[in-house]
Amino acid sequence: MTETALALERIEKRYGATTAVAGIDLAVGAGEFVTLLGPSGCGKTTTLNMIAGFIEPNAGSIRLDGRPIESLPPFKRDLGMVFQDYALFPHMTVAENVAFGLRMRKVDGADIARRVAGALDLVKLAGLGERRPGQLSGGQRQRVALARALVIRPKVLLLDEPLSNLDLKLREEMRLEISALQRRLGITTVFVTHDQGEALVMSDRIAVMNAGRIEQIASPRDIYERPASRFVAEFIGMMNFLDATAVGDPDAGGRARLSFVGGGEIVVPVPPGTRSGAGLAVTIRPERARLDRTTNTAAGAIAIAGRVARVVYLGNAIEVRLELAGGGTAAIEIKNDGRQTPPAPGEDAFLTAAPEDCWVVPRSG
Amino acid sequence: MTRALSWRHGPWTALKLGVALIYAFIVGPILITAIVSFNAVNRSQFPPQGFSLRWWGEAFTPQWLGPLAFSLELSAVTALISTALGLPLAFALARHEFPGRGALAALTMSPLILPTLVTGIALLQFLQIAGFGALLGFWALLIGHVVICLPFSVRTVAISLKAMPPAVEQAALNLGATPATVLREITIPLCKAGIFAGAVFAFIHSFSDVNLSLFVARPGQRPVTVTILSFLEYVGDFVFGDHSRD
Amino acid sequence: MSSAHRRGGRRALHVLLVAGPALFLIVFFALPNAYLLSASFQVSEAQQLTDTLTLDNYRLLFTRPFYLNTILRTFVIGGSVGLIVVVLAYPLAYFLVRTSSRWKGLLIALSLAPLLASVIVRTYGWYVILSREGLVNNLLRALDVIGEPLRLLPSSWAITIGLAHALLPYGVLTIMSSLNGINPSLERAAMGLGANRLRTFLSVVLPLSFPGVAGGFLLAFSIAISAYATPAILGGPSTEVMATQIRNLMVSLLDWSLGSAFGVVLIVSSLAILLATAALGAKRSAL
Repeated sequence: MTETALALERIEKRYGATTAVAGIDLAVGAGEFVTLLGPSGCGKTTTLNMIAGFIEPNAGSIRLDGRPIESLPPFKRDLGMVFQDYALFPHMTVAENVAFGLRMRKVDGADIARRVAGALDLVKLAGLGERRPGQLSGGQRQRVALARALVIRPKVLLLDEPLSNLDLKLREEMRLEISALQRRLGITTVFVTHDQGEALVMSDRIAVMNAGRIEQIASPRDIYERPASRFVAEFIGMMNFLDATAVGDPDAGGRARLSFVGGGEIVVPVPPGTRSGAGLAVTIRPERARLDRTTNTAAGAIAIAGRVARVVYLGNAIEVRLELAGGGTAAIEIKNDGRQTPPAPGEDAFLTAAPEDCWVVPRSG
Repeated sequence: MTRALSWRHGPWTALKLGVALIYAFIVGPILITAIVSFNAVNRSQFPPQGFSLRWWGEAFTPQWLGPLAFSLELSAVTALISTALGLPLAFALARHEFPGRGALAALTMSPLILPTLVTGIALLQFLQIAGFGALLGFWALLIGHVVICLPFSVRTVAISLKAMPPAVEQAALNLGATPATVLREITIPLCKAGIFAGAVFAFIHSFSDVNLSLFVARPGQRPVTVTILSFLEYVGDFVFGDHSRD
Repeated sequence: MSSAHRRGGRRALHVLLVAGPALFLIVFFALPNAYLLSASFQVSEAQQLTDTLTLDNYRLLFTRPFYLNTILRTFVIGGSVGLIVVVLAYPLAYFLVRTSSRWKGLLIALSLAPLLASVIVRTYGWYVILSREGLVNNLLRALDVIGEPLRLLPSSWAITIGLAHALLPYGVLTIMSSLNGINPSLERAAMGLGANRLRTFLSVVLPLSFPGVAGGFLLAFSIAISAYATPAILGGPSTEVMATQIRNLMVSLLDWSLGSAFGVVLIVSSLAILLATAALGAKRSAL
């Protein structure tokens, strides 16, 4: 990783007896795009507001380029922020909105005009400077908010669920546009969202938060394919959980033999520190699981018996819900490529998966 | 449209008829007052006899223009002071938690709840007992009107503070504006409508007040409402503007 | 939010800005009312309040028929006004909420018109209608229904009608806002379940708008019991209400103790109405 631009050290925020943020550490590299992802109430927005200076932490420090900023008021922090509902000043034109931060920095008039025009150009709103926020569409307002935050050349860009008020199509467009812009400008960015799709598409790294703590911080791919906890595995995408128990300690390569509660065995990498007899959950993504009519599978693979409960048509795929013989259900996604006939409800079938399609997390937590 | 109307017509027509009668009840007395003001004789007679502008001519004599000017001045100053005092109160009550906040809110709003008439006699009595009887007239009226108008000023500003998009002030802080700049460039401009509405409410409330002014006015320093009222009360049979019996 | 960053000087200024108006209200509103309360328990002699504490003022109010009648008359007028306001405001409010007429805005404005005319203008209109040579008498005489003009003024019911007319807009506003709060699909649902229009109105709309009706009644009642101008114009010595009586006591008779006691009765009534309204509000939000 490159040099650290923004560092949170054991940041904590309590409201009376409830803890909103429970002492988290986070280091954001210069030019990096880090997403705080989690359900509502997980502390992600509180964390962002502590970085911006709107909420004072009870403990811990926040460093910007090595300098502590936790005791600075928000207007001295030099951070650009895009708010969830954009928070454009309704009584100012688009150009005045964008110019506001420059005016506060006492930039001279000609410079302001030039930089505002440049910023509006950057977000493809050239020529709309004289409009009022009320005359703009949601997507355009979003761009104004972005231009207003970027034009001051902030050290860090903070994005607080900026896409949540846009409709689906626009949201998907803006995801790509914002990340392209961020990469082009090379600006360090902290993004808060509860939308895993956004997080996966846009981030260099994702910090998954739960109950005031960071559960895992890793690249989108690692978060999706190698979740560190059951919470992360469950929160991101669809996931099947098969309860299993370690039979013996892991070998030198970190692999252990697991036996499923419903029968069957598999040898897979297990979380570090796993001991013989530990309760684990084997996770398999629906798109990595396969549906087979027989148990004739490759060596080392697992085959769990079940009965088809429901077949759901998803368009690009078909989801088969399997009621497992050992209890519980599992979802298997079949590509809708016209080459496979989906099973009928009531049919007996097996969920099969190769060891490399399985990932093990602790059973609880 | 026709489909919507088809299942309504029976009871709906009856309702419309009733509503028309209620409108007649509402508008009638006001229209009658307007018509009688053109009466040619000096009696509260209806239908009026003849047509004349003499009462309107009377209305524009110093006897009536004096109190009118007094009322306008009183209400304008009341609106100004009530707005100035109401602004910080509204901010404190709408934005801050502090000890005694509930008590302050109750104190600010109670002139709206307690009868204005009682506020008037309480003020009259207090000024007399405290030895400020000399204030009766304009100053006492101003004090009393500010008291009864403050709830309007505070409430309208508090409403516009609460209606403000929540993050705009944070956005301004984030862009480097100091709290004083945020107040001047963001908060006040966005509350302008509320502040103005509060001032207009205060003006109207002050201008139309009878119940308080009745007690703290003094001859020569009376709002127009009290002047008209005492005229109507003490002249037995009368027409607007008539004082032929004086 | 940035309170931690606010310097002491700014805080002091804030406190001053709030303390000023607060002090103004304490001196010119709270204190006078406290004086009023204490005066109501004092003996008034020769236009001076003495230090003797007594309940005599209240005893007088509630035992001497003249005063007791004044109090009762005031409440009867207040109650009748509230009733008339609600009965007239309800159909009007219902019509205004449900009509799809393009004149809707104008009709709403017209129903609130009395608010714009001074209470004196409104009341004077009733004087012209009800006086000896007014609309009613001249009409009845022209139709030969009566020979001699009826004596319609002064009277309690003239005061009642005048006040109801003046306060009707408040009823319309409160009832309209509660009717607006009723989800229209509830009515459609009731009709979909087989209730006819009248049944739907009686079993869905009316109960749900009850808080607005009660609120309109209480508002009209509370303004009516302390109104001065209308009883002064349409009433006379035989129809004194608390407000006119207070005026007599305070300004003509200079019996401040008794006037204050009347004032306290009005204050207590207003607070009782406030509590009733608050209880209604709590009930409404609990629904």
